[in-house]
Amino acid sequence: MQVKTFKKGIRVPHNKRTEDSPLVECCAPNTVYISVSQHIGKPATPAVAVGDSVKAGTLIAAADGAVSSNIFSSVSGSVVAVEKRKTPTGSAVHIVIENDGKYEEQKLPPLKSRDKESVLKRISEAGIVGMGGAGFPTHVKYAPKAPVDTFIINAAECEPYITCDHRLLVEHAFEVLSGAAILAGVLGLDGFIIGVEDNKPDAIRALESAKAEHGIKCEISVLKSKYPQGAEKQMIFATTGRKVPVGGLPSDVGVVVGNVHTAYSVYDAVENNTPLYRRALTVCGGGIHEAKNLWVRTGTRYSDLDAFCGGATDDCVKIISGGPMMGFAIEGEDYSVTKTTGAILYLSRAEANVLQPKPCINCAKCAKACPMNLMPMYIDAYALRGDFASAKKYGAMNCIECGCCAYSCPAKRPIVQSVRLAKRKIKEAKL
Amino acid sequence: MRKTVSASPHITNPKNSTRRIMIDVLIALLPCVIAATVFYGYHVIINIVTCLIFCFGTELLYGLIINKAFSREGVKKSSVFDFSFAVTAVILALNVPATMTVWGLNVYNSSGTIAFGFDTVVLCALGSIFAIALVKMLFGGIGKNFANPACTGRIFLFIAFGGAGAFNFCASLFDSGVFGSGATWLGTRNTVTGAMLLDMFFGNTATAAVGETCAIAILVGYIYLSVRRVIDARIPLIAVASTALFVFLFDVIPSNVSGGTVSGAAMFYETSAHVLSGGLLFGSVFMLTDYSTSPNTFVGNVIFAVGVGLITALIRSFGNFPEGFSFALLIMNLTVPLLDKYIVPKPFGYVKPVKEKKRKKAAGEKGGERE
Repeated sequence: MQVKTFKKGIRVPHNKRTEDSPLVECCAPNTVYISVSQHIGKPATPAVAVGDSVKAGTLIAAADGAVSSNIFSSVSGSVVAVEKRKTPTGSAVHIVIENDGKYEEQKLPPLKSRDKESVLKRISEAGIVGMGGAGFPTHVKYAPKAPVDTFIINAAECEPYITCDHRLLVEHAFEVLSGAAILAGVLGLDGFIIGVEDNKPDAIRALESAKAEHGIKCEISVLKSKYPQGAEKQMIFATTGRKVPVGGLPSDVGVVVGNVHTAYSVYDAVENNTPLYRRALTVCGGGIHEAKNLWVRTGTRYSDLDAFCGGATDDCVKIISGGPMMGFAIEGEDYSVTKTTGAILYLSRAEANVLQPKPCINCAKCAKACPMNLMPMYIDAYALRGDFASAKKYGAMNCIECGCCAYSCPAKRPIVQSVRLAKRKIKEAKL
Repeated sequence: MRKTVSASPHITNPKNSTRRIMIDVLIALLPCVIAATVFYGYHVIINIVTCLIFCFGTELLYGLIINKAFSREGVKKSSVFDFSFAVTAVILALNVPATMTVWGLNVYNSSGTIAFGFDTVVLCALGSIFAIALVKMLFGGIGKNFANPACTGRIFLFIAFGGAGAFNFCASLFDSGVFGSGATWLGTRNTVTGAMLLDMFFGNTATAAVGETCAIAILVGYIYLSVRRVIDARIPLIAVASTALFVFLFDVIPSNVSGGTVSGAAMFYETSAHVLSGGLLFGSVFMLTDYSTSPNTFVGNVIFAVGVGLITALIRSFGNFPEGFSFALLIMNLTVPLLDKYIVPKPFGYVKPVKEKKRKKAAGEKGGERE
């Protein structure tokens, strides 16, 4: 089998300890805190008031404008508060619902027609967003302005520890492939490519048998297990050989890249008329007693997940929302799961990088690792010196923030942080 | 308990640190240290210890003075604990003769050979202080220096004290006499024989820099550094190959052709002798690949290595000195900022911008059609 890949990048220890633990339902807590801003774009407008009773699947916040998304209740019960709460990246209005434990469901009306417009409308009303982490509303993404000739499902899952997409592929290969086929149909395409890293042989087998059994038109592209194989531009290059131009989007080369979980949710919304209010999620790391893959209802607080997984160990020094390479570190557990939360990691002292940075020794290991072929050491140096024009010259704006540079830095310099600073300053100053 | 918050990535390669890299280089230098001690005696160890002490002391003191932190805390925060001083020290000690005589303050034993060279210790200390304080720390410490500290320290000693006889060759303890008395092949340029090549390969020759004597020891170090990915294995090869090529062109061919008879074997022997003698192998592996004084791109490194090869060959063929690797390296160190400024890799997905002229031309043509 030919294994495809991209240039440069790094090898990271996979640490996929949960790859054989099946997805289990996480019991929903007594209270859920559902954010109205679980996507990129305008926050949704709350459509319920304190005291209203809701079911799992009731619309509780409606999309505000085109680039926004509907929010649904994940449990049945009554709304007890609509209040501002902090999120890992800022703050947002949260709708607090007390769970009555009945889990009554409210479905969307069945789809009458399966044409492009109806399906796209269904995706929009089911509140589906890109579930890989960005959270871009799916109905906007799948109505591209430029012509598209290739649709890729990104099943690389190159971040260490995370295995929820892997388990989805193994346990729900047919649903994922059908969802992807529906999305391909929306784009007006006949088939699609699904790119999987070769460290998931069971997922590849499951995909192949589902493909053969149901006659789904797709190409299963086996990719080398290398970080960041799942980065959009690297994924496109590995599967199609096309290079997204600097500063461009995948649509510039006629490609749309979708996420595994998004495809699954599209299937659920179209075939089962279920809006998006729960997702698969990995809880892992050396700082948690029982690492698990869970089905979690949105709005479940991290502290509830922690309790469900046996609690954090005393050794836990860092909690991360997302993967260890690109996720956000958070100081406590008073946050709730959103549509885009793929993993919550509890890192022990041995795993986490808590070292102080040392001076750069010009070893160029960062430049050797950078999948975008940049010179991270110069961006770092210029950003810290305040010379953002030079930082831009060395490609600060092309950085995908994958973290390969900082991972391979012997001096443990927080290069990605400097790049983010540079990006922000360049945007502010319009350099 | 509040957890640590920092920017991603949250994990790092635990096997990778500045100190680990420096320790790797020290391990790679070990075979050279052993070979030098075998061929030139215990003086090598004295030199290494002297250099280590003075490099350590200089860097520590410099840091304490600059930070005005004469406390236990200041010592703890000192940059010496990345061990880069040790690499400089060992390379410098391996780059000088086993014993140097300037003022003659030596302790001789009954047979008239030097038992303890006080001059040598003083010179090693001077070289260390020069290398660390002037070349490395004044420019901002590790990663900021533009010239290789050990190489520059050696050149300082060579130029300042060479006239007084400090850099006279020290003979191997097992001298087989094939090179003539106490001289290197680069100094005499005798006709090369197989026995000479064999001695050069094992390191049994006179030398002015003890570390560069044994090709096998250097090779072991080279393989270790390449396997550990501390250095790019291609760069030393390019440097050695380009030196061999230029020496062949500038020196081997002219000297053989003017001799009347052209012998392929003689030319091959002579080129091999060039490769095996002098600081070429040692410098290519341990000094050319120094991170802060070599370019950051592969293309830049290739130009750098070829440049070093060219200048080495020029000095060996037409220069005033028998050997010129350290000079070549120092000269090419000066080009590194330039190489790094102009050789910037194109980012992934780079599109060549359409040139202004072409765009105008295309626009003009379109305009013409419309008319």
